[in-house]
Amino acid sequence: MATGSVLDFTTETEGDTTVVIPAGRIDGSTASPFQESLLKLIEGGKGSLVVDFENIEYISSAGLRVLLLAAKQLQAGGRKIVLCAMRDHIAEVFKISGFSEILAIHPTRQDAINAG
Amino acid sequence: MPDNLEDAISEALSEATEGPIKILVVDDEVDLETLVLQKFRRRIRRNELVFDFAHNGQEAIEKLDVDDDIAMVISDINMPVMDGLALLKQLNETKPNIRSVIVSAYGDMNNIRTAMNRGAFDFVTKPIDFTDLEITIDKTLKHLALVREALSNRDQLVALSRELDVARDMQASVLPRSFPSTARYNTHGLMVPAKEVGGDFYDFVPLGEDKIGLAIGDVSGKGVPAALFMMACRTLLRSHALEGGRPDECLAYVNNLLAEDNESCMFVTLFYGVFDSVSGVFNYCNGGHNPPRVVHRGGQVAALPTTRDLALGVLPGHAFSQESLQLEAGDMLFFYTDGVTEAEGPGSEELGEERLDALLATLDDTSCDDVTSRVLDRVREFAAGNPQSDDITCVALRYLGG
Repeated sequence: MATGSVLDFTTETEGDTTVVIPAGRIDGSTASPFQESLLKLIEGGKGSLVVDFENIEYISSAGLRVLLLAAKQLQAGGRKIVLCAMRDHIAEVFKISGFSEILAIHPTRQDAINAG
Repeated sequence: MPDNLEDAISEALSEATEGPIKILVVDDEVDLETLVLQKFRRRIRRNELVFDFAHNGQEAIEKLDVDDDIAMVISDINMPVMDGLALLKQLNETKPNIRSVIVSAYGDMNNIRTAMNRGAFDFVTKPIDFTDLEITIDKTLKHLALVREALSNRDQLVALSRELDVARDMQASVLPRSFPSTARYNTHGLMVPAKEVGGDFYDFVPLGEDKIGLAIGDVSGKGVPAALFMMACRTLLRSHALEGGRPDECLAYVNNLLAEDNESCMFVTLFYGVFDSVSGVFNYCNGGHNPPRVVHRGGQVAALPTTRDLALGVLPGHAFSQESLQLEAGDMLFFYTDGVTEAEGPGSEELGEERLDALLATLDDTSCDDVTSRVLDRVREFAAGNPQSDDITCVALRYLGG
């Protein structure tokens, strides 16, 4: 049962770019509150959004969907979403689902900020 | 009580409940009625509180029996006909949702103890200090509001679990009821839904005597929305596959329809392949799904080379590609969803692809129905009682020879 667990995350800003650094698991129970927070950040910001995966241990399809929604929202305003610092098994999820073909993924946060 | 605090509390209360809260005051002193109405006149005027009065326990019970709106009872102890302690006993047994506050003589610890033991929520002492009474009333009502909120959450849970039943029924209704087999191949599949149903499905598409289409998919998300999306996906795929469409064409067709106006950004990882049992050729397209395995006689296991395609519903117009695999007699194809490999054992470790491949290597000569049940057994053994968080689906097809 989805218990509505909360995904801890911190945010930093670099110029117009907002950097989100979530920690833990983006799964069925954390995806929905995470989605709300991301969409709020997008609404309140004006530049690109960088999501740093350094502290993410697991992402389910529900988590991928949140990133798609965020990407769509940003694109509508001519903005970008850039992902970075994925562990190998997380990168594999993006590769298998084909999402690595449509979402920008960079090795480090700095690369991602530069690309944003 | 300062006005701002009073306002804050009444605001919190009116948010949690609708309309004024009704309090029944039970006392044989008729003067109390006038006093209460006078002291609480502002809150009565603001439609926050409503008072009703009874003059003994019996009268109180009679009022409570016909008036379901009473949320709280304030009762004296010593009264004719039925005293406050007898009233409490009855309330506790028949009206567990009502909170009662007892009014007792100062220092009458015996009666106060008895009252608390019989389920009184709190007490105030005589002569009544109305500031104290108001604080006690607010404390009680706040508690009641919390209880009501908890009850409404429980009701939502019940509603949700009914919804889960619907999703489960939808999912079960579209699963194959029989497993195609001929002299050249046989198949088996199974799906075990999680408690909160995900969007797994699989399908066999009959394509004449020699060919068979095989699909396996996993919709993002759970519950009824995922089940609806899954059904749409399966129906669209079937409609195009039955016309004999190539796997890459079928997926492009389904993708374009699913991606159109897909505000929810829901998506499905979908693998579809067509097996020709005469030539042993398996043509397939993989829309973002876990790569199926081919298990050769002798126990070599290999992942089917991916077609590097995207999950469906994401990008309209995406061009899908196709791969082809030549099977030898005895080869088995094994398809699964991530409920298998992401099953968690003790310490949150996942079953993983390596363990799955190691098991499959020992099943090179096992019948398809045994293969699927052996994989399920392995998942359960690995999970060691951990709850199943995602649907588990596996499908096997063995080529017996042309």
